[in-house]
Amino acid sequence: MIFNSLVFVVFFAIVLILHAMPFSWRVKKINLLIASYIFYAAWNPPFVILLWLSTVVDWFAARGLAQAEQQWKRRAWMLLSIVVSLGLLCYFKYGHFLVENFAHLVSLAGFKYSPPQSSIVLPIGISFYTFATMSYTLDIYLRRAEPARNFLDYALFVTFFPHLVAGPIMRPTELVPQFEVPHKATPYQLRFGLALMTLGLFEKAVLADGFLGPVVDQIYNGRTVPGFIDAWVGTLAFSGQIFCDFAGYSITAIGAALCLGFALSDNFRFPYAAIGFTDFWRRWHITLSAWLRDYLYIPLGGNRHGNARTYFSLLATMLIGGLWHGASWTFVVWGGLHGLYLSVERLLRKQFSGYRPGRIASGSLGLLTFVLVNIAWVFFRSKTFHQAIVILRGMFGRNAHAEPALAAIYIITTVVIITGLVLAHCSMRNQTLEAAIGRSHPTALTALWTIMAFAVVIQHGESNGFIYFQF
Amino acid sequence: MASSISSSEQIGADTSRQTLPSGLRLTAADRPGVAQPVPERDIPDQPWRGISLVVLVLLILLTSLWEWKMRSLKLVPGDESDGTYDSWARLRHQVDKRDVPVLIIGDSRILYDTDLDRVAQLTGVRPIQLAIVGSSGLPILEDIADDSHFKGLAIVGMAETAFFDTKHTVARPKEALELSRWESPSKRASYQIQRVISPGLAMLDEDYQLSTLIFHLDPDWRHGVRGPYHDVWKVGESGADGQAWIWRRLEHDQRLSAHARSVWHQLFPPFPIDDKSINGILVRTKTAVDKIRARGGDVVFVRPPSGPDMRAIEDKHIPKARAWDALLAYTHTNGIHTDDLPASQNLVLPEGSHLTRACATVFTDAYIRVVAQQTPLLHLKSDLPRALSTQDCVQTPVASMH
Repeated sequence: MIFNSLVFVVFFAIVLILHAMPFSWRVKKINLLIASYIFYAAWNPPFVILLWLSTVVDWFAARGLAQAEQQWKRRAWMLLSIVVSLGLLCYFKYGHFLVENFAHLVSLAGFKYSPPQSSIVLPIGISFYTFATMSYTLDIYLRRAEPARNFLDYALFVTFFPHLVAGPIMRPTELVPQFEVPHKATPYQLRFGLALMTLGLFEKAVLADGFLGPVVDQIYNGRTVPGFIDAWVGTLAFSGQIFCDFAGYSITAIGAALCLGFALSDNFRFPYAAIGFTDFWRRWHITLSAWLRDYLYIPLGGNRHGNARTYFSLLATMLIGGLWHGASWTFVVWGGLHGLYLSVERLLRKQFSGYRPGRIASGSLGLLTFVLVNIAWVFFRSKTFHQAIVILRGMFGRNAHAEPALAAIYIITTVVIITGLVLAHCSMRNQTLEAAIGRSHPTALTALWTIMAFAVVIQHGESNGFIYFQF
Repeated sequence: MASSISSSEQIGADTSRQTLPSGLRLTAADRPGVAQPVPERDIPDQPWRGISLVVLVLLILLTSLWEWKMRSLKLVPGDESDGTYDSWARLRHQVDKRDVPVLIIGDSRILYDTDLDRVAQLTGVRPIQLAIVGSSGLPILEDIADDSHFKGLAIVGMAETAFFDTKHTVARPKEALELSRWESPSKRASYQIQRVISPGLAMLDEDYQLSTLIFHLDPDWRHGVRGPYHDVWKVGESGADGQAWIWRRLEHDQRLSAHARSVWHQLFPPFPIDDKSINGILVRTKTAVDKIRARGGDVVFVRPPSGPDMRAIEDKHIPKARAWDALLAYTHTNGIHTDDLPASQNLVLPEGSHLTRACATVFTDAYIRVVAQQTPLLHLKSDLPRALSTQDCVQTPVASMH
């Protein structure tokens, strides 16, 4: 089930009504759990088994971990959890990719091996919920958290439908305590939650799907060799599309949870106003970057074991982060580029440690960050390296036989949306969305909410899946 | 410039901690290597009750105005010509569930040019309409041929440019077939809800989405680029029972019909289809026809009319002798070509490719009577209505006759 579908509207209305009924807290939690399974099964019912498997294995692994006294037993329970979670992820997400690469490697050695045609279907959201369940056992292993007191709270943490399939990637310590005590939205939470959902759906259905998606497809799915303008507009459109798609999902998820009285974590903080890449990764997909930092970068050594180790940890984390997004080398290169950006930035920060940029320098650095982020997006969106190179050549004005590909209206709408998006990010980079809303005039807020809701209604159309579902 | 978060062991960051500017809250990015606490979500201080009420009232008002505007543009509530295949998948399932005596396969011509009620008046049988806009009928014919449930008559309509195309007209049938084989519960449920609300709303037409309307504002402002202005705009309308027509507004709106005509001209550039492709299509078609016949079923081909300008382009693309004549000869199948059907001459095609509603009924009347002579699987009723002629439909004002 996706947020921008009619069936979700009905589903969510029923969930809200049930949650407002005078049932006991336990019954309400069971309702939410059942609703969450229905939410997930609405895509493909058999995949609920995977969700159960992931849930149950980590529940018992965590219990074993908590009871074990010897270190080797604790490590064994932790490894069981990791092996099962990563095993599921590897089989369903990377199985075909691994076999293909194996075939390529053996062909380099002179052997011929044709892998069988893969019929593996990627279960929606598997990357998200396996990371959530892994954080449960890892937090207990690292003695950062205690196991949940009852299975219902834990199962609901894993399955809670707003964050289940595309995040924010919640940690058990963020959500389980909320399920331990009764939660019901106040009228203010309900209304603000609905406003957030409207904003999220506007970003997704109107901006990402309606206006930016067709422009991106024209460049990245078309056959025309793009010139400077087309390559840049197509890539800028993608930078807007991926943000509006994913941040739109996160905002909708946060709003949906708020309507039920629960708080989810921030996942985006105006990332296109970032100055530098460290700043960018504090603003983009915060829950993933924090997850990778806590469970990969720091265990690999972080920045506490000298420069060489730091750069190794940094690059390894970003490469794996790239691979997390999809089973393709283009994603790895995207992650590698960001690892490189971060490494260079770190070097420069050390070199110019006393430098404090002024307004103009900060603006220029912000612009440079945005440009380099866009260059990395080319690898993220391209299906092949060849395509990525053709588009990059276009962005640098080096395509000799470039043809105009985008109609003026595509260029105009993209420039207007991206300019608006970047300006909005810049104007709010040092505050929260809530703070900005709190300072707005009620009339302006009413007009904005109405325009967004009306745009969602008249955009309608077929519900497109969210880009991040495939990750 | 201050950052949104304080820094500690952030990826790539130094470990020194900065102060958090006011108006911000900590996120997971600010707390490295610790258990993350329950998130804070503050509610902005605003009169939310009043705001939400005004938004609701304004939204209802604006949506009502928009609905009124869409109806004034001749959009019809309940129109299911939305480019999705949910209705189609349900019709396809009927072939598996019951004994279907007649089904229709093909592209938009046979789809819009067939009056299913007229078929029922003539034969007592209402066919299942499985034709898909912008598609070749061949993938569906092959699917039906592989379905042992079907033992009836398949009427395969075609524009040769679509049927013999191996690149552009196969994606939609493939998508439709995939949906008929597997449809997620959420998609199924969404479709049911859509069917409940759609009969009351004309504004749900995907050709009149906000972004589409804005994209259509650009009549080639940029030199050398054919933009979305030249996409196919709304051409047809259809209901849940499978009946589809040319969109009623196209029958009278000369600007829209002229636009559609120019798009068709661009869609079918007059490059010839090579012999290898044609032979491949012939072989595949014969295989499918033979499978259906082996079960006691039958196949008849129908070539609906096109305007003289379109016909000239189509004949350059793939002449009748290389396509239609070869198809009937190679597959040993009966067929009805519009050229050979006296009653289908001089019918009205507002945009050169599809008949008006009234003329579609005339064309249906004419071709069904001939089909009934060509195959024992379709019988005309004894109390047959009188045969229709061109005079029954030519009073439509748009002059686009041939």
